[in-house]
Amino acid sequence: MKYQMCGCSHHTAPIEVRGRLSFTADQARQALSGLRERFPATEAVVLSTCNRVEIYTAAEAAAAVPSHQEVAEFIADFHGVNLAEIFDDLFERTGEDVVRHLFHVAASLDSMVVGEPHIVAQVKQAYELACERQSNGPLTNQVFQTALRVAKRVATETTINEKRVSIPSVAIADFAKQIFQRFDDKHVLVIGAGEMAEESLRYLENEGVKSVTVVNRSLERAESLARQWRGTAAPWERLRGLLVEADVVISTTASGEPIVTRGDFARIEAARYQRPLFILDLAMPRDFDPAVGDCLGVYLYSIDDLREACERNRQEREREWPAALRIVEQETARFMAELNHRATGPIIKRLKSTWQQTKEDELRRLRNKLPGLDERQQAEIDQSFDRLINKLLHPPLESLRDEAQHGIPSALLEAFKRLFQLKD
Amino acid sequence: MLAGISILCFAASYSVALALEASRLVFRSGVRGALLLGFAAAGLVAHTLYLAYRAATATATPLSSQFDWYLVAAWVLAATYLYLTVYHPRTAVGLFVLPLVLVLVAVADFFADQTPFPERRASQVWGAIHGVFVLLGTVAVMVGFVAGLMYLLEAYRLKHKRPPWQRLRLPSLEWLQHVNARAIVVSALMLAAGFVSGTVLNLVNHRLKVDELPWSDPVIWSSSLLLAWLAVAAVFGVVYRPARQGRKVAYLTVASFVFLVVALGLRWLLPSEHSPARAHAVSQAIDRDSVWAASPRPVGGAQKAPAGTGGAA
Repeated sequence: MKYQMCGCSHHTAPIEVRGRLSFTADQARQALSGLRERFPATEAVVLSTCNRVEIYTAAEAAAAVPSHQEVAEFIADFHGVNLAEIFDDLFERTGEDVVRHLFHVAASLDSMVVGEPHIVAQVKQAYELACERQSNGPLTNQVFQTALRVAKRVATETTINEKRVSIPSVAIADFAKQIFQRFDDKHVLVIGAGEMAEESLRYLENEGVKSVTVVNRSLERAESLARQWRGTAAPWERLRGLLVEADVVISTTASGEPIVTRGDFARIEAARYQRPLFILDLAMPRDFDPAVGDCLGVYLYSIDDLREACERNRQEREREWPAALRIVEQETARFMAELNHRATGPIIKRLKSTWQQTKEDELRRLRNKLPGLDERQQAEIDQSFDRLINKLLHPPLESLRDEAQHGIPSALLEAFKRLFQLKD
Repeated sequence: MLAGISILCFAASYSVALALEASRLVFRSGVRGALLLGFAAAGLVAHTLYLAYRAATATATPLSSQFDWYLVAAWVLAATYLYLTVYHPRTAVGLFVLPLVLVLVAVADFFADQTPFPERRASQVWGAIHGVFVLLGTVAVMVGFVAGLMYLLEAYRLKHKRPPWQRLRLPSLEWLQHVNARAIVVSALMLAAGFVSGTVLNLVNHRLKVDELPWSDPVIWSSSLLLAWLAVAAVFGVVYRPARQGRKVAYLTVASFVFLVVALGLRWLLPSEHSPARAHAVSQAIDRDSVWAASPRPVGGAQKAPAGTGGAA
């Protein structure tokens, strides 16, 4: 029984490479069919997200599993890229490390934003796609189903997925999501073009935001950003009007003084009829006069307000991190023990059937020699023989189980075969 | 077997569910959600069976006593809680709703009059309509109060830029505001329907000269006051746009609850004729009169025949 994984993630490859190697849902379907064709005895699952592209393979016979080089070649061939160009961006795992890695990934401990909740759904979708294409099998079923359970356990028993550490993620998860129930009907206004606006928009997009308007002093720049974020651009002169319509404002200009003062906002406030407004002021110095936050229905957060929350979350996450890792380690050890024990199954089965046959032969001989036995006496003898076999088999099977905790007990299995003359 | 179910059964289930909700503040647990649902559902089933048994074995109008009214209100609120727990399992809504459920059960058990309204054909229909609408209006006010309270707490946290209470997760302001606004409109409509049906009931009783309530009765004017407040709050929301948003609507629902408590409190504090016990006494007196009157004048006597004989209308 062998597990392997080959792919790239945000730890090993830049976003351009990840983009080139990623699979859309249709491409993943084709890739699964291709893998099945090229490696018929192998189970396969393709996990492709914006932060990772990973192909998991497994087979009962170790020789049937493609090597890392073969999977890397498959990825390169599929996307029509030169393997040499991407080889250094790939990484691989084998055996227990695959299991541990998948558990980390599913529990969002390997994500770019640790604890982000979407990865578990993406792992589930990847597994379901493999089931749909029938490229899964007993080994991938076992490891992916356990991974989903581990993710749930980490989410339930720790608060690691509730603690965000970047300013935009804290702003959206801890504040904006507590103001708005849904985002698909909200208008987002981006003022300026700072880097953090992009990250904030990514989180908002994940929450379902559809309407984005970009305002910049340069309309050309606004149009370029709007294209990138599938939004619309507006000239700077329309800022006041757009603030009346907006539900979420992300402001990241490089202006040296506030672009919206309390006095400016008084007119906007009157036109908004106190409709809730979430303002994320990511500019330094601030774009919004702090007094704007005193207006009814306005929830204004600056970098300073959120930095404290980020730091607190970071400390809390550090406290939770060992607990999450402990769960993953526990589950990996349990999974491997079960897997190794499963490997001893055929030997145990053969041993039991050999002894069962011996018992029946002996019972038949005894009944021929003692024909006067009544039914009750025969039953007593049958039971005694069963008990005897169970007692004789118990110590070696127990030793086998103990050995399986630390890996496949190959030496012991070989000894069993020779001692009890068990044939393949 | 149903006779063995007591108030204690479902009150205990709701109390355990409340204790489990409170345990959110102390520790995290993976099984709490299932336990919570289990106890709340068990309580609701016992509550339902208890009410069903009372309705089935009632000698007069089923579930018409003050005692039953409070228990049915608690039942509707508990069902609302169960619904919210299923659809918002991670929020601590129960910490706000379950105490109200338990208070209603306690009020029913310790203070409320257990005497049902006597059965009378004319008042049966209008009485039932009146009771149901007033009950739904009351529950809507309570739901609005709970949502308003949660809104004010969460808005305070967000306005003061405090980190989220990890152990006391509340629904979003948008959702709470939606519930608040709906609660005001629904409670105003329900109580208006209850008020109209109550007026019709009183007019019918006036025509029949039975159980007529004086218009100055404390229950009538305190209910009118509550209805007037809710109507003003609902109209305020329609004509003044900021009143549909944020804290204003939350304050309106909290104030509505205060009016409700005052209206219900007045029933106990001031002497009222709007009580089943009094209606029962009057009914018995009328029955005695009608028996006395019926013997010398058998034809005209049908006008005051006892309830259930078919002659009351």
